[in-house]
Amino acid sequence: MDIGALQQRMREAFRVEATDLLAELDSSMLELESRPQDADLLNRVFRAIHTLKGSGATAGFMEMAAFTHHVEELFDEARLGQLTITPEMIDLSLQAKDLIGQLMESDNPVLLESACAGVVKALARFLPHRAKATSGDGAERVDGAPLRQRHRIFFRPNPEVFFSGTDPANLVEEMGALGEARVTAKVDGLPPLEELNPERCYLAWEVELLSLQPTSKIKEVFLFVEDESEIRIESQPAATVDERELADGLAAFLNIAGQSVEALGGFLTQLRDDPDTDSACRRNYLRILRSFHAAACHQGQQAHGVVLEEQIQLLEDALARGGPLSDKAKGRLLEGVQKLGLLVESLREGRSPAPASQTLVAEPSNVARLPSTPAVDGTKKDALRPPATIRVDQEKLDRLMRAAGELLVARNAFPILAKKLVLEHSLSGMGKEVKDAGDHISHIAEDLQAAVLSIRMMPIRTVFQRFPRMVRDICRAQEKEAELLLEGEDTELDKTVIEQMADPLVHLVRNAVDHGIELPAVRVQAGKPRTGKVTLRAYNKENNVVIEICDDGRGMDPVRLKQKAVEKGLITPAAAKAMDDRAALDLIFLPGLSTAEKVTDISGRGVGMDVVRSNLRQLHGTTTLESQMGKGSRITITLPASLMVSKGILVESEGEEYVFPIESVIEMVHLPRQRLHRHEGTHYASIRDRVYPVLRLGDHFASEPRSQAQAISWPEEVAIAIVQTDRDRVGVALDRFVSYVEVIVKPLGRDFANISAFQGATIMGDGRVALVINPSGFV
Amino acid sequence: MPKQIMVVDDSSSMRQMVHFTLAGAGYDVVEAKDGAEALLKSTSQKVDLVITDLNMPVMDGIELTRQLRAAPAYRFIPIVMLTTESQQQKKLEGKAAGATGWIVKPFQIEQLLAVVKKVCP
Repeated sequence: MDIGALQQRMREAFRVEATDLLAELDSSMLELESRPQDADLLNRVFRAIHTLKGSGATAGFMEMAAFTHHVEELFDEARLGQLTITPEMIDLSLQAKDLIGQLMESDNPVLLESACAGVVKALARFLPHRAKATSGDGAERVDGAPLRQRHRIFFRPNPEVFFSGTDPANLVEEMGALGEARVTAKVDGLPPLEELNPERCYLAWEVELLSLQPTSKIKEVFLFVEDESEIRIESQPAATVDERELADGLAAFLNIAGQSVEALGGFLTQLRDDPDTDSACRRNYLRILRSFHAAACHQGQQAHGVVLEEQIQLLEDALARGGPLSDKAKGRLLEGVQKLGLLVESLREGRSPAPASQTLVAEPSNVARLPSTPAVDGTKKDALRPPATIRVDQEKLDRLMRAAGELLVARNAFPILAKKLVLEHSLSGMGKEVKDAGDHISHIAEDLQAAVLSIRMMPIRTVFQRFPRMVRDICRAQEKEAELLLEGEDTELDKTVIEQMADPLVHLVRNAVDHGIELPAVRVQAGKPRTGKVTLRAYNKENNVVIEICDDGRGMDPVRLKQKAVEKGLITPAAAKAMDDRAALDLIFLPGLSTAEKVTDISGRGVGMDVVRSNLRQLHGTTTLESQMGKGSRITITLPASLMVSKGILVESEGEEYVFPIESVIEMVHLPRQRLHRHEGTHYASIRDRVYPVLRLGDHFASEPRSQAQAISWPEEVAIAIVQTDRDRVGVALDRFVSYVEVIVKPLGRDFANISAFQGATIMGDGRVALVINPSGFV
Repeated sequence: MPKQIMVVDDSSSMRQMVHFTLAGAGYDVVEAKDGAEALLKSTSQKVDLVITDLNMPVMDGIELTRQLRAAPAYRFIPIVMLTTESQQQKKLEGKAAGATGWIVKPFQIEQLLAVVKKVCP
């Protein structure tokens, strides 16, 4: 396992989760401000902070975790009822929450140290009596240099020990692995058989352990049971190595070795004769091997050690694989035992006969066996079914989207092929079959597209939810009072659109509060309610999603806008004079215009609106502005609901094909030539009591500029598409309307990105390329 | 058969971290995001060890421990709590409910594996 890669993955996984948690904290903390006693809320906030701290620390974000600890303390006290949350605390907590986010993102958290220290100090004011948290269970201290010690350990577990899921035999084995152990099981606590409760532990163990490990390591074995068990450890440094010690050690080893080899041999016979040996038997075998191995290592018996390691590995693998031991495995085990026997013999032969004292090696016996697992409980708990969601890599979704979209375009080949078969090859039967197959595929393709698109659709709530906090912050900073109303949060938009909408919306809502809403005193004087109202509303309209930002503030003054624009040299005085109020409002979208007297750090320096509009344009959205002095303003954004496959009208003009996005085409009409009027070089037409300027598509996209004389004459009947641009509606004259199409708009490529007249291009079903027009860009 | 370990924590990143670590060491892992889901999954799959956070919505780690211990299949199963150093009180509660042991967050990979090996060899 590559630690580095694992760490990276952990950090990424945590970042994803932290983003959600921080967003949740934002809304929860705000809610908490109005309902500070709500226990459920308090718990939610606490849990979120607690998780940030715990998981963050485990993922390696140490500074963030340390800082978060302080915020956690505050909310711990609160949820335990020890203190009440005040708006001041919420302010501080929101600040802290922002810092937490920054600490996670920052490459150099040290830079945020002073900011964090400030917040910690402020938090401490609310928690004067809290003792400093002790630092964990403490690191293990090694008792100086490794020293060979003789430990005498007595262990009597609590009779109820099994109920904490502990098997004392494991603990004894663990001890055994620390060195050279002689284990004696004490059975004096055993009651007569008829009183024996198999779920209680009546045993105790005495272990004599020769080990290089310090006493603390031994104690660690009992870490989880020490509180409820009788444990006595006496440790004495083993006498410095001398001949007798050495001899003793070796003699002891030979003893163990001899006995182990015998025991192993016995087990092998069992395995050979009865292949269905249960796992307990195998585990015992493993235990013997392990103790033998520990002893061998302790004695420095390398040869034994190597063979034993091999055997242990072999058996562990077999156990992990499960099932009966293969003949091959058994063969290898036998080989191993034989080898060990030989090694022990040769070792023995070089020595004097074993000393007289025999030592007892008692296998700790599991008198109480664990009950076998009964059949799975039939009664199901079906009440708790949480909604199932999956997180999906965006790239995978994109691939799926693209494929679905291309399928939709590719299906258009079928009708064309069908036609060819009928007309060019006189195979009308075949032609019909192909058409039918094509229709079928069409349906499936449409279903697929709808399904895939809906995957990417998310409620706009995800973007809306940050605004209450923002409005609150601006109000606090500017001493205004305003409330934010959200409507239509469930309206769904493509995920990418939502993500790219976030910035423009932020600008617009900021503006609404900053420039729109007046100071409370001013409002009251004007006869308005003291608290301003900003409404953020989203709804579906045909194929589009409409987002409105309304405020009941001071509105925009067309006169001042014109003035400012002239001052900044953005328009000429003459143009200003000729401009009507509606057009004047549009000036706000010009770069560099800002009517704020002083530049506030919140709204920026007048770069807002033009960036907003161009951002939205990239999403094929239009922005319109309405405003009334003294009453308020409303900005309306219209976006296509989905991105990938666009619907459009295919038109032809002078031999070239173009596509108009469907949301931009209001109407398609045919007018007799006479209905067109000319005035100062521009053509106009009156359609349904509205006057539209009419432009010729051909003129705009001609390869060379055309003079009046070269202008191609109008046909008898003019096909005009009434097209909606950012500002207005215009009529676009073409040669003919071809059809309604569905296309995948592909961007033109970096070199052509500046051509605002086109959104991109598309490949038609028959392989030809048509340019997709961006009406706002070419009118 | 590789041992099957159930990881219960409402933090998805924590579950992932523990999952990767254990899977890399050869264990099979099942995830649950709160005590209730853990109980549900424990009835349909055989689990050899449960590692659980304490603080979770719906059903917390202590309650999960109690409920597991009450189920015949899991009366003696090792249950390890994930705690933070400021939760000493919880640790005692956990033990009273029947937990086997604990791991303190934040933990190193080796610590996690050592405890798993200790309670579920």
